[in-house]
Amino acid sequence: MWTVPKPKYRRGSCDEGEISVNIGGVRVELFGDVLNRYPESRLAELLNCSTQDHEVISSLCDDFDPGRKEFYFDRDPDAFKCIIDVYYFDEIHIKPGICPICFIKEMEFWKIDQCVLDECCKSYLSEKKEELTEIANKVKVILEDLEVDRCITRTQRCQRLLWRLMEKPGSSLPARVIAIISFLSVLVSALVMCIGTIPELQVKNADDKLVEHPTLEGIDTACMLWFTAEYLLRLASSPNKLHFTLSFMNAIDFLAIMPFYVVLTLTSLGTASMMELANVQQAVQALRIMRIARIFKLARHSSGLQTLTYALKSSLKELGLLLMYMGVGIFVFSALAYTMEQSHPETLFSSIPQSFWWAIITMTTVGYGDIYPKTTLGRCNAAVSFLCGVIAIALPIHPIINNFVVVYNKQMVLETAAKHEVELMELKNGRGVRRKCSN
Amino acid sequence: MEKSLDLNKDTSRSTSSLPPEPVDIIRSKSCYRRVRLNVGGLPHEVLWQTLDRLPRTRLGKLRDCNTHDSLMEVCDDYNLEENEYFFDRHPGAFTSILNFFRTGKLHMMEEMCALSFSQELDYWGIDEIYLESCCQARYHQKKEQMNEELKREADNMKDREGDEFDNTCCAEKRKKLWDLLEKPGSSVAAKILAIISILFIVLSTIALSLNTLPELQETDEFGQSSDNPQLAHVEAVCIAWFTMEYLLRFLSSPSKWKFFKGPLNVIDLLAILPYYVTIFLTESNKSVLQFQNVRRVVQIFRIMRILRILKLARHSTGLQSLGFTLKRSYNELGLLILFLAMGIMIFSSLVFFAEKDEEDTKFKSIPASFWWATITMTTVGYGDIYPKTLLGKIVGGLCCIAGVLVIALPIPIIVNNFSEFYKEQKRQEKALKRREALERAKRNGSIVSMNLKEAFARSAELMDVVVEKSERPHDNHLSPSHWKWTPKGAASETSSNRSFNAHEGSPDKGRDTSSQRINVQKLEEMYNQMTKTQSQPNLNAKDRGSRAGKQRDEIELGAIQDHRPTVLGTREGVGDMKSLSSIDSYISCATDFQENPRFNHSPAMDIGLQETNRFSYSPAIAFSQHGNIKIGQQITGEREPMLTPITKPSYSENARRFFFPGNSSKSIIPKGGCRSDRGSGPSPLSDSSVQSDNSLLSPEVSVYTTASSRTPPKSPESTTLAATVFTFHDSSISKYIDADTDDDEHLRDISEASPSERLLAGSSPKRSININYQKGTNHLETAQKMLGQNCLFPNEGIRRVVHENHVGPEMARRPKVDRGRQHTLDKGL
Repeated sequence: MWTVPKPKYRRGSCDEGEISVNIGGVRVELFGDVLNRYPESRLAELLNCSTQDHEVISSLCDDFDPGRKEFYFDRDPDAFKCIIDVYYFDEIHIKPGICPICFIKEMEFWKIDQCVLDECCKSYLSEKKEELTEIANKVKVILEDLEVDRCITRTQRCQRLLWRLMEKPGSSLPARVIAIISFLSVLVSALVMCIGTIPELQVKNADDKLVEHPTLEGIDTACMLWFTAEYLLRLASSPNKLHFTLSFMNAIDFLAIMPFYVVLTLTSLGTASMMELANVQQAVQALRIMRIARIFKLARHSSGLQTLTYALKSSLKELGLLLMYMGVGIFVFSALAYTMEQSHPETLFSSIPQSFWWAIITMTTVGYGDIYPKTTLGRCNAAVSFLCGVIAIALPIHPIINNFVVVYNKQMVLETAAKHEVELMELKNGRGVRRKCSN
Repeated sequence: MEKSLDLNKDTSRSTSSLPPEPVDIIRSKSCYRRVRLNVGGLPHEVLWQTLDRLPRTRLGKLRDCNTHDSLMEVCDDYNLEENEYFFDRHPGAFTSILNFFRTGKLHMMEEMCALSFSQELDYWGIDEIYLESCCQARYHQKKEQMNEELKREADNMKDREGDEFDNTCCAEKRKKLWDLLEKPGSSVAAKILAIISILFIVLSTIALSLNTLPELQETDEFGQSSDNPQLAHVEAVCIAWFTMEYLLRFLSSPSKWKFFKGPLNVIDLLAILPYYVTIFLTESNKSVLQFQNVRRVVQIFRIMRILRILKLARHSTGLQSLGFTLKRSYNELGLLILFLAMGIMIFSSLVFFAEKDEEDTKFKSIPASFWWATITMTTVGYGDIYPKTLLGKIVGGLCCIAGVLVIALPIPIIVNNFSEFYKEQKRQEKALKRREALERAKRNGSIVSMNLKEAFARSAELMDVVVEKSERPHDNHLSPSHWKWTPKGAASETSSNRSFNAHEGSPDKGRDTSSQRINVQKLEEMYNQMTKTQSQPNLNAKDRGSRAGKQRDEIELGAIQDHRPTVLGTREGVGDMKSLSSIDSYISCATDFQENPRFNHSPAMDIGLQETNRFSYSPAIAFSQHGNIKIGQQITGEREPMLTPITKPSYSENARRFFFPGNSSKSIIPKGGCRSDRGSGPSPLSDSSVQSDNSLLSPEVSVYTTASSRTPPKSPESTTLAATVFTFHDSSISKYIDADTDDDEHLRDISEASPSERLLAGSSPKRSININYQKGTNHLETAQKMLGQNCLFPNEGIRRVVHENHVGPEMARRPKVDRGRQHTLDKGL
């Protein structure tokens, strides 16, 4: 059997301070003064009340053998072997192989505070806990979807149904159809935006200016109307309006829609009140660029893009690092190139800001060839800058990639885990119901 | 307390002969609040009420079982007296399962294999859905991974094994052709064919490229350039080769449709077809009217000729794994393309708005600037279009960085897929090579053990049936009494009971052994049948005989036994009888035994000894044989057979053959000395002593052995055999021989007087089964388990015997001698 060494500081003899416990079949002899170092713990309580009445004892342990003076606990002996360490070493290490969540439960049973857990195991535990909370969040979302039928009023139920229709493409066939239509309309509108700029397809308007083809314009308007309708329906059905408008995806949606209407109002205002036509047109131009935002609407339909945004968000620091490296490199090498190329009479490096462009193109190994060094020294500098650029990009990119891979893998795991969790809940509920029935 | 004590006595008495009454079981259950569960040797203690929480699981059912039979269905064994229930399962997994009962949360031990954990869950009747989410993700990931791997392995096996050529005519030839064309590793000719094929591919692609050189082209009557005639000939030859290859493959393929569907064969077809289509089109449309159109079509088909370079994939694993990787990671590839497309969209429109007001800008429209964005994002940078305004340059810079990022992100996932697959492919290639080497060795006749393994795999189901039939009821019947012995020093008790003292054979024990023997016998018969079918072609009819016991010996050493014909062939070349391959095979064989604790010698040592002392042992063989025969009644004599866990037929065979023909002159010494030597059990029979014993051989013995060696094993029935050979022995032997027909009967008759022999008799069948088990037939697991339970701690019994009679260093060598002797006897018979 497994005996524990007697601590040296044990003073005197304490005959009745010894208790023997049986944890799931493993018998241990424990000394009272050791146990009393943590008077809050279950074992210490047991020790202190061992002379008292039966009720207290049975509340503390599962079984008591009066013949052998043995307390029985129906717990995991493996975890106990780790937990008992706290009485001797003041810290606990989770035995590899035991799930930390499970171990924490055991610690709670033995009424030992979590703070005695050693640092090395704590990080492991927190990792697991994070994962669990993420799963719990997902589960909450899924459960919310399932709770449609429990809404009381009719309007609420309608709202729920609409919400599910618009936001959960997996919930029903119409929802899926809507998702597909919305996806296609994003693609079409993006295509129309691109094609509209081809000069051959443009028509001249009254002022002899090239404007978009009327049919393309019509398609664009139709898409915009669809987007608007979609956005409004979503907004109407969302349970939390403020949360909805502030969320990233919906902000993108808004940005994709807004320019269209602004341009519409501006042109109508411009024609009506004869405001300064040039200003209006400039504003319209600026807003046209914002139409690009509609491409981001694709992110709603692709989990890969969402992963990318997550990964980039979680690796902002590395991105900053990347930009900093690049910035430093650009400054250094463009300045060097500028000074070195000054000796050449037909230099392409007219100024340092001018050579920034060259530095970027060289360091990212793009190399258009519009600006290139002509002196030997400048060429050497270009070679060095190219090497530095490769390194400067490669170094910070690695953690970013790592983040991406981790997020990507985790996403998949979480998805299955959340689904499983819901199933488990259902099962447990079902069992509870069944048990009630049998009772 | 008093009552429970009474009860205990009661149960103990009843279980000694009969299964306990339901009343006893119920009483025992009501006596204790707790229950002890012994799972694979690890004791656990748990409250009954904890088990009640999940009444439909195996442990929950345990609570409701009140009869012996139902209890035995739920657990493997139990002991009411100790309130202990035994389950023969993996103890590691059980900890987490028991915790599920206690806490309601099912967690998984981290180091457990997911598959085995799921099996355990199945056994304990717990649904895997109860796994907590923190462990569940890992569990499913692992399980999927394992399943995928297993599936791939199975597919591979099927691919290899699935080439069935039984349905149509000339299957043999077709199989040969198939091997020749599809498996370049199978023969030299196949390899040469593969190389020729590669050369043709390279040649044809070179010809294709050269054809487009203006210098080599010729102008036809329309002023259009056409193919160089020499190159056209090369092309024709190549195509002819490809066509021939494809047709032969198609004809020889076992499944035409599968062949047609195979991606590699589709590529082959695509490489051939364009040529024929071109010929057809140009020949059939000579009219000038359609000429232009035809030419265009022909051009398209010319481009398709490029596909033939993909034919190289057939000859390169790297290309295949690349293809497979792309197939497997299409998700990530899609992601990559999506990222790129979005980036291109965004940056091209941005740069268009930035640059469009510039004088003679090249960014005329967004689609036009797509090209710029692509070239910039992939960091190719031709420089045909580049931004000129400041805003455009800023966009361009961002585009570069974004491109680097976006392309780099999904690639590691793809790379990961690739490296995993590539590694796997390499591993499989190696495994395939190993298997082929083994097959070659098998063909050469040096390894049978592999044969055996396969035989077992094939007849596993049959085996299962037998095991279940013969073992289960018996075990059920007797186990309580056995179980009762185990907890407290049962080993010593049983071994002493069985081996030394007089009271051999309390009724239930007798039944125990006999029934066990019957089971064993059945198993062995199975085994023998299988080995017979497996190794028949290699065996000399004379050596074979039909004695089951001998066959068993041969099976145990399948490897060497197969080598025998060659030994027989080179009888005069005594010195080199052991070819390297046989040693190898012996190693492979011996490693099988290593796990068995009863073998107290290392196989490596055996080989060494085998090599050096082959001849010096042979006298000892003869001698020990003699000794056994002479003083069979003595306990020391009978000890030797017990120490013979491995018999080495070929070794003894060699030795004997060498030794006996010219040895009769040596055997002059009176047997008295021999006997005295024998009588002193602990005499260290070292090499030297064996050598000296050589001269001690009595003429009688040598005569006997030579005679026996010449006696062909004619009689098929073991009992009659024993009768013919051991005529000078006690007739009571036959009883033992009857009891376990095919087990080494000479052992038994020699040691007939001593009960310890019976212990061995009980354990030796187990030995053979053990070996079966180690050879990888899991199906025998149950059988082994049962037997192990029945003949309790045979190891101890044997070892005790050993220590009492033979001392120290001799032990390691002794078994060999005995083995030799034993086999000599076998031979003789």
